[in-house]
Amino acid sequence: MKLSYKWLSEYVDLSGISPEELARRMTTAGLEVEGVEAVASGTNLVIGEVLECWDHPDSDHLHVTKVRVGDNPEDVYQIVCGAPNVRAGLKVVVAMVGSQLPGGKILARNVRGQDSNGMICSLNELGVDKHWLSEKQIAGIEELPEDAPVGEKDVFGYLGLDDTILDVSLTPNRADCLSMWNMAKEVGAILRREVHWPDYAGKSDVGEKGDFRLALATEKCSCFYGKVVNHVKVGPSPKWMVDYLHAAGINSINNVVDISNFVMMETGQPLHYYDLSKLPHHEITVVDDREMKMVALDGEEFDICKGDILITTGGEATGIAGVMGGEESMIDENTQAIFIEAAHFDQVAVRRTSIRLNLITEAAQRFTKGVEVMGMRKAMDRSVQLLAEYADASGFEETIVAGSENYQPVVVKETLTHCNELLGTSFTMEQVEDVLTALDFQPEINGDEILCHIPSYRIDIERPADIDEEIIRLIGFDSLQNTLPALSATVGQLTPAQKLRRTIRDTMTGFGLHEIVTYTLIGENFVNSAYAPVGEAIALAMPMSEARKYIRTSLLNSVLECAQYNRAHQNVNNHFFEISKVYGKGVEEERLAILLDGNVHDDPLHGHVIPGDFYALKGMITAWLEKCGYNASRVHFNENRRDTEHFHPFMSAEVWIDNNFLGVFGRIHPEYERKFDLKDVVYAELSLEPLFHGKGSRIRYSALDRYPSVSRDIALVLKKEITAGQLLDVVKKAGRKLVRSSEIFDIYEGSHVPEGYKSVALRIIYQAADHTLTEDEITQAHTTILTSLKKQLDAELRA
Amino acid sequence: MQNQVENVRLEALKAVEAASDLESLQQVRIQYLGKKGSVQGLMSLMRDLSKEEKPAFGAQVNACKEAISAAVEQKQAELAKKAMNARLENEKIDITLSGNRFQIGTQHPLMLIQREIEDLFLGMGYTIAEGPEVELDHYNFELANIPKDHPARDMQDTFYIDPNTLLRTHTTAMQMRELEKAKGRVPIKLICPGKVYRRDDDDATHSHQFMQMEGLVVGEKITLADLKGTLTYMADTIFGGGRQVRFRPSYFPFTEPSVEVDVSCPFCNGKGCSVCKHSGWIEILGAGMVHPHVLEINGFDAEKYSGFAFGVGLERVTMLKYGIDDIRNFYTNDLRFLKMFDRYD
Repeated sequence: MKLSYKWLSEYVDLSGISPEELARRMTTAGLEVEGVEAVASGTNLVIGEVLECWDHPDSDHLHVTKVRVGDNPEDVYQIVCGAPNVRAGLKVVVAMVGSQLPGGKILARNVRGQDSNGMICSLNELGVDKHWLSEKQIAGIEELPEDAPVGEKDVFGYLGLDDTILDVSLTPNRADCLSMWNMAKEVGAILRREVHWPDYAGKSDVGEKGDFRLALATEKCSCFYGKVVNHVKVGPSPKWMVDYLHAAGINSINNVVDISNFVMMETGQPLHYYDLSKLPHHEITVVDDREMKMVALDGEEFDICKGDILITTGGEATGIAGVMGGEESMIDENTQAIFIEAAHFDQVAVRRTSIRLNLITEAAQRFTKGVEVMGMRKAMDRSVQLLAEYADASGFEETIVAGSENYQPVVVKETLTHCNELLGTSFTMEQVEDVLTALDFQPEINGDEILCHIPSYRIDIERPADIDEEIIRLIGFDSLQNTLPALSATVGQLTPAQKLRRTIRDTMTGFGLHEIVTYTLIGENFVNSAYAPVGEAIALAMPMSEARKYIRTSLLNSVLECAQYNRAHQNVNNHFFEISKVYGKGVEEERLAILLDGNVHDDPLHGHVIPGDFYALKGMITAWLEKCGYNASRVHFNENRRDTEHFHPFMSAEVWIDNNFLGVFGRIHPEYERKFDLKDVVYAELSLEPLFHGKGSRIRYSALDRYPSVSRDIALVLKKEITAGQLLDVVKKAGRKLVRSSEIFDIYEGSHVPEGYKSVALRIIYQAADHTLTEDEITQAHTTILTSLKKQLDAELRA
Repeated sequence: MQNQVENVRLEALKAVEAASDLESLQQVRIQYLGKKGSVQGLMSLMRDLSKEEKPAFGAQVNACKEAISAAVEQKQAELAKKAMNARLENEKIDITLSGNRFQIGTQHPLMLIQREIEDLFLGMGYTIAEGPEVELDHYNFELANIPKDHPARDMQDTFYIDPNTLLRTHTTAMQMRELEKAKGRVPIKLICPGKVYRRDDDDATHSHQFMQMEGLVVGEKITLADLKGTLTYMADTIFGGGRQVRFRPSYFPFTEPSVEVDVSCPFCNGKGCSVCKHSGWIEILGAGMVHPHVLEINGFDAEKYSGFAFGVGLERVTMLKYGIDDIRNFYTNDLRFLKMFDRYD
């Protein structure tokens, strides 16, 4: 909210406290001041009188003037002025030579042959916001009243512009401070200074009984204060009131409307004044069951739904309760009599209506954040007082009240011990009493116990913890020590899933991969082309854009998009991984995505260039799974039968652990990667759920081999389509216990090998745990293997 | 005859000395010490000597043989060393050529800072909670003391999926799940990191997706001072040692008292600089004592137990720590950006 320093000082003595100091103290106490700005600024200003004014000989719009700024003969200066409204006899604001204005410094100059010693100012040039100025005021210099005192140097004081605005960011719980009076109480408590509200109480207890009737047809209006004022004189508001309203960001309309706004600003209670002549039925009923269209004060038409609280008269709607009045019953210059409404409307209902209609008015904001029930009486009293004084109001009728405030004074009990226990402080009762007294909580001390009588406007205070917060924020948080919780010891440890994620990060970064985090929300095209969507995509009810409309069901497109970005920015060897959840309707799954684009080892100088291809990715997956406790006997790579839309059908595979499918990996289909301007990238998207729920093998010690091993290399010629897996399987089965391991170390096709065949070099290691193998044993095993290879795969020893 | 022996010895030593490589030395060795060599030739002269003369002559020849052998051995060592030196010199490499390019990958900077903070709290006996990103209104708002139509809901613009389901707007939802799970049992000491979502237009300082880490402690006699002490450790972990922590009053629906937490500026040590806008302090997070109502609706005896909670935006502290000027960097994943965060720091 915009807080006028000058207005505030009407209620609390701010002497010796600069606006900046006040801002600092308020911020420290929890009312954060985000900005401090003078309404107008400028040095070396004085009120002057234009004695003479003639046209500049060398200009079609400039004037040359003689301006008197004092009583002595030497106080007359020649000033060149471009304003169209400058003329002899006018009283004006003069910025003397050396004056510092928002737009710069005023120097003695020569303007096309004429000396100019100063500047005659418009208010805009003095920093006053254009919003508050008429077109005439913006276009020309400010015309002061005829009786303006020439030579007066406190120009801003004279103009009522000697004010500074504090921009206070109120937390939602402190809506009470939207009232100047309550704000004064708060500032008084912070500064420990007395606060004086105007003497308003009981001012509305005037008038005879009239014929106006009120009815509440909805529980959403708990109480309604109404009052008929039979005579008011509409006219301009006093200048101070206009200035204060401006400071608060409210336009001045006329004295009657201004008073309703001014009283709302003072008390926090939204008010509405109706032109009585436009309420011919002398009746108001509050309802919430209408569906209709209505035109509000701002001239716009709104759709009213059931649940919106409406003010009706003679069956016709005349206002959206707590939000905005109707155009029909508006106060204008011809208004002679008024009806005052000060009512309490349901916070939730007003919030819904105001948000739905996008009408975030001053009144709606207050009801939405919470208004004290005792505000109605305050606002009625103050209205009557100000209307009588500034709008010649008379002919008051007795105040009519429908419903009731149902005000229950709040008393909160706290103990000094509990307060210190919660805060970890050692405040004394004197300190605490001082704060609570300053807040007007009227503390009653009884031993350790403190009874607080909460003022009606502090609707945020309900519990001991609220009292403790008041105490610490007004004594200051600097009194807090640094301690750690004194609890029984607990063990801080990672869950298996958390450990697994760390293993992934450590392993993948070890492979030289970089972790990425991409957005969860994606567009429809990405949803439609998802890899293995976890379920039906969840759509947002109100997305911000088409590109962020769905929660992603797979990671593929996000990661490819990231690779595309990196290629477009000339980054090479973009190897990424991401761990993220994916969501479908009623289902979530955590996945690991890996993308290789470029060489995983890129070192031509030393002759090591390892492309990031299918085998690089397979090797990474194998090594990583082994690190998770899944060795080759539990990991299976099968032909990709699931997704040949995104993957190259012959350069991709499914990976399984035990009987659980993890995902597909391999080369991205050339047609698919082209959509992302990518080429030759490999990708894996694996579900982590089987790993979260499964159990990796434990580490197991086995005695080191004591007996030597023997290796035999063989070269076989066999049909091309026989896979390495088939070959090694035969060796393993035929070799039984004596084969410790077997591996392929070379594959050759070409001359000396028949068409359709390949030559495979195989190394078989023989070893026994309990003795040194004899030549006979080895030969026998080896022969068995060769026989099996021949029989099962038609593999021949190469000549 | 004695002269003959001496001649052989002198001649042999000369020949050994003259050998320039191991091969010629081998020739010399064969010529003098071999089976048909000169020394053996001297031995054959023994036949013609008398019994009395034989021992003396034999000894002389043996001495000659040993002298030659010693010379050969010495020469052999000399030549071997020379040959080795020549070979090594021949193997000289250019040590200024770069080494093999081993690439170590990087963790995402947000994950890096998350892990550092996690490790601090694990060390203090906290556990790490987890929860769904697609969350129920019940956990995200209701249990956190933000009922429907509460004005605090305006503070967080929410991505709703349906009236009861949303993308969580804060990690507080996980705290509420954990409180519910604990069924009134204490102590609770946990942190809950994760992705959260709010309806913000993406720009240099706003992101519709970001990461939070919240902490929650509930037990007997937990104090606001405990919160301050705990957060001081966290500030040290993030920004390096010696940080001071300052509280300013604030408001959150689920804490009372609520505070904004500032940390003494790590760049100027509180003296004032452009990062802290010359205040000496930077705001890093919000915190407070768990609101008694939150404890009650989650089944805890608020008379007996108290607790504190805090929530830190990981992007915010990472940006502050490294001077990152655009939050979108975290989600663009430019390799050049990622590679900057190659270690715990």
